[in-house]
Parts: sequence; structure tokens; C-alpha cells
Amino acid sequence: MLRGLYTAASGMTTQQRRHDAITNNIANINTPGFKGSNAVTRSFPDMLLSAMGGPEGTVNPIGKLSTGVFAEENLLSMNQGDLQETFRMQDIALVSDILVPGAVFDGSGKFVDANGTVTYQPQAFLSILTPEGEERYTRNGSFRTAADGTLLTSDGMRVLGVNGQPIRVNVSWDEVKVTSNGSLINGTTGQPLDGAPQLRIMRVDNPNFLIREGDGRFRYEGEAAGIRQIAANDRVDVRQGFLERSNVDTAQSAVDLMAALRAYEANQKVIQFYDKSLDKAANEVGRV
Amino acid sequence: MNSSMITAAVSMNALQQKLDMLADNIANVNTVGYKRKTSVFEDILTSLNQQEQDFQQAGRRTPLGYSQGWGARLSSMQLDLSQGMLQQTGTPTDVAIEGNGLFEVRPDGTLGGSRAFTRHGSFQLISSGGGDRMLVTNSGFPVVAEVGGTESFITIPEGYNLTIEADGTLKGFGPQGSTPIELGKLKMMQATKPELLQSIADNLYGVPENVNIADVVTDVTQLPADALGISVRQGFVENSNVNMTDEMADLMIVQRAYTLSARAISSSDQMMNMANNLRA
Repeated sequence: MLRGLYTAASGMTTQQRRHDAITNNIANINTPGFKGSNAVTRSFPDMLLSAMGGPEGTVNPIGKLSTGVFAEENLLSMNQGDLQETFRMQDIALVSDILVPGAVFDGSGKFVDANGTVTYQPQAFLSILTPEGEERYTRNGSFRTAADGTLLTSDGMRVLGVNGQPIRVNVSWDEVKVTSNGSLINGTTGQPLDGAPQLRIMRVDNPNFLIREGDGRFRYEGEAAGIRQIAANDRVDVRQGFLERSNVDTAQSAVDLMAALRAYEANQKVIQFYDKSLDKAANEVGRV
Repeated sequence: MNSSMITAAVSMNALQQKLDMLADNIANVNTVGYKRKTSVFEDILTSLNQQEQDFQQAGRRTPLGYSQGWGARLSSMQLDLSQGMLQQTGTPTDVAIEGNGLFEVRPDGTLGGSRAFTRHGSFQLISSGGGDRMLVTNSGFPVVAEVGGTESFITIPEGYNLTIEADGTLKGFGPQGSTPIELGKLKMMQATKPELLQSIADNLYGVPENVNIADVVTDVTQLPADALGISVRQGFVENSNVNMTDEMADLMIVQRAYTLSARAISSSDQMMNMANNLRA
């Protein structure tokens, strides 16, 4: 069988996966706190080709042949989304620009130093509790309150405070003010509310270890030392009355969609030509 | 291909729901006492496809596994209880609330029936027999007041005109020279958890059955008005708090997102077509 047939087929599958990732980005263009994903492709290991039929005992290498491509991973793009003012007292947006000494991060949140070590920009997240009692992270700050005053996300997960317990507010939210470090105080008196609640904001050193679970939640799968609460000198701002928009770029997504489609088509043409060649080999070679 | 179609179709559904909600707001831009609805999107469950150990290559940034999202959905629809603009009408039975307050009415017509709340203060007086008139909403539901600590409906005897003061005190003024009669105080409720209020018909709000009403609204009739910033204005109505500019801007955003999702569907349709025509 001609090797290129499988290479082209792997190309089609990869472009399909890229298309799926871009479509998901497009679908979530209006989702607050959404981080776009980029499908990263990688080439299969190269194969060494040798010529046959030479003198006995010799190997005549011709060269390397790439055997295909596959979609390796779905990277999260951690760019800060724009802030949109909603005037809702329970909407919270995080503005995260955490600095690491000696690192100047590029547009994708990565810094490569002279030795080749890669550092990623840490990101801040709000902590929420699933019904099973596990901690998850989110940037979607569109909160609401339950009947007993517990602060919930828009689909019912409880929001955690610095002490690891869900936050409960017993007064009307018209009077609650959230300061820039996440503490909830009484807007008129300036005093902290009962129990001094403060939003639990975690700093993730390498955001690539966050797995997206859907429903606005991320799960951390890295080392325990790579995630901790933010310190006072981390540049993280909490803004009440704002929502962080999705960081998906519409124009770029539309262009990428077209690119994936045309690459798919190019691979399809390659398969069609291989098909014609095989047709000749099977049906016309040796025809009497 | 199929995944893209599913993703795009699911999110077009969500956008359609948001469009319906925006249309509802726009249709009610002139409804007295209407409070606009807002909603947020959220991304749907993401599947994590397993990858074998061989996929752990040098230069790979994320843990093993390929994640795939499936679009967006509308997550929660909530009432925005911000103040609407007051408009003077001069009608003595029109009442507007300034601040976070609600009137209480009885849709069943009896004091023991189900409780509903409203901001729609275009009240009217209907005859309740014997020359007396009762204060009801524009749909005919009686308005509740507190008279001497107990709830009752508001009945104005014949020959008296109703005056409503800024803190809700009701007084009837009779012919020249007679002393005004006390008719009680308008029952004023404050919504402590406005997102638990449910819209029921006729511009009323209710509390769902499984929720304790006391958790959602509190009776603030007896508290001094200036303590809470709630005051009542006779002769005014509160316009709807729908801002056409914001709604139209949202409408355009939803439209463009819808177009883009439709583009993704037609793109994946072309891909499926190509796969079908691999071997014509």
C-alpha cells in the first residue's frame, strides 16, 4: 500500500480536530471567563527509508520520511479577556497580570530564557466547590445567591472563601462591596461582613496543567506546590460589577476555520490522486 | 466534522434562547414597572479523550489527554431590579416606588391566598359595595396594606380622596373642614434575594413553592423609610428599566455570534461532503 495514503488520511483527521477546536471557540465567543483553545499538531516520528537490491550485506539509506501528523493537545490560551461592565453587584471579574522576576512574557504567556528553560505566566482563578466536595477553578465570575445566602456560580456551585468554606452573605447584596483583594465589606460602613468573608483566589504557576471540564470549571492536575493562594504583591485585581469576556478573537477564528477547511480539502485531493494511482496499479498494470 | 456540527448547532440553540429573552425585554420597553431579564452563557461539558503513554513526547505542555468542547448553553436567567425612571402622570391612584421595594398584592382576591409582589403601581379604585372603593392593580388584584399591625385591603369610604405619603401612609381627605382619616400604611417588601423571584403573569413576581418567602423578601413597612432609601410617590409611574441601547447592542452581538456559528456548520458540512466524495 502506498505510504502517502495514510499520511494524507492522518492529515484529514488532524484538520478535522483543529476545526472542532475552532468551532468550540466560536461557540463560546460570548461566554464570560472562557479561555480559547488551540489545537497543537505534531508530526509522527520519521521513518528511515533504505534502498533494496544492493550488494549483499549493505544497507543504502535514502533518507527520512515523515509518516503523518496528529493533533497532540488542546492548549488553553490564557490571555486576559476584556472587562464588560454589567452593574450587577454579584458579578466579579479577575484582572490577572502576575509577574515573575526576570521573565518578560510574550503574547501567549510564555518566556524562554537564554538556556532554553520555558516559564509560563502564572494565572489567578476563583475557587469553587463541586457537589462532590472537590475544589475546582474558574474565571467566570457571574455569581448569584441561594436562598440561605450562600454565594453560587451561575450553575449552582458554591464559591469558596479563604478559609476553604463556602461564602455566605446574610445581607442584601446592594450593600456589599468587594474590594480589590476579594474581601467582602459593607459598602456604607466599610466594615467587613460577618465572618470577614474573602474570595479564595488561587495562583496557578503553570496554567498548562489545568484541564477544562466544561461548565466554566478547570481542574488542576499538576504538582501541589504549583498552586497556592495569591499573595498581597501578586498583581491580581478583583472588580465587582464587571465580567471578563471570552478571550476568543472572532476574526482569527473565522480565518482559522477556513484554513482548516482548505487543508482538509488539500489532503482529500492527495487521497484522490493516490486512489487513481492505486487504480492504475490494480487494474491497468499487466492488462492484456 | 460531526463534532463541529453538534457544537455549532447546540450553541445556536443557546443563542436563540438569548434572542428570545432580548425580544421579550424590547417588547416591554414601555411597560410600567417591568424589570428586564439578563442571562449568562456557559460552556458545556468537555470530553477528555484518552491518549496512550506513547503520546507523552518531549515538548508537550499539557497532561496526557485530548480535550474537546461541545459548545455553549444559557446558564441562568435573572431579573435586573434596578430602578426605572419615574414619570409624572398626575393620576392620584398612580404610585411609583423609589428604591428597592415591592408592593404586595393578592391575585386570588382573598387575604389568605397566594402572595404576589409587583412594582407596577398604576392602581385603580373599584367599587366594593356600599359606596366604598377598593385599591386594586390594573389587573384587578387587591393591594395589601397594614392597618394597626394586621394585613388588610385598602378600602376608601365614599366622599374621601386617597392621599399616599412618601413613607406609604394612606390617608383619606374628606370634604373641606373634616379631619383626615387614617387608612393604614401601604405594605412594602424589600427583596433581599431578588434572583429567587419568579416572573408570573400580569407583571407580578412570586416566590417558588419550595422556597421560604421570608428568605426572599422581608417586610419593611414598619421601618422608617429613610433608613432603607425606599420612598413612594403618588401621581408618578415607574417606567420599565429596559435600556434600548444596551438591548440593541446585545442583539447585534447575538446576531453576529449566530452568523459565525452558522458559518462553522456550513464549513463542517463542506468537510463531510469532501469525505463522502473521496471515492466518487
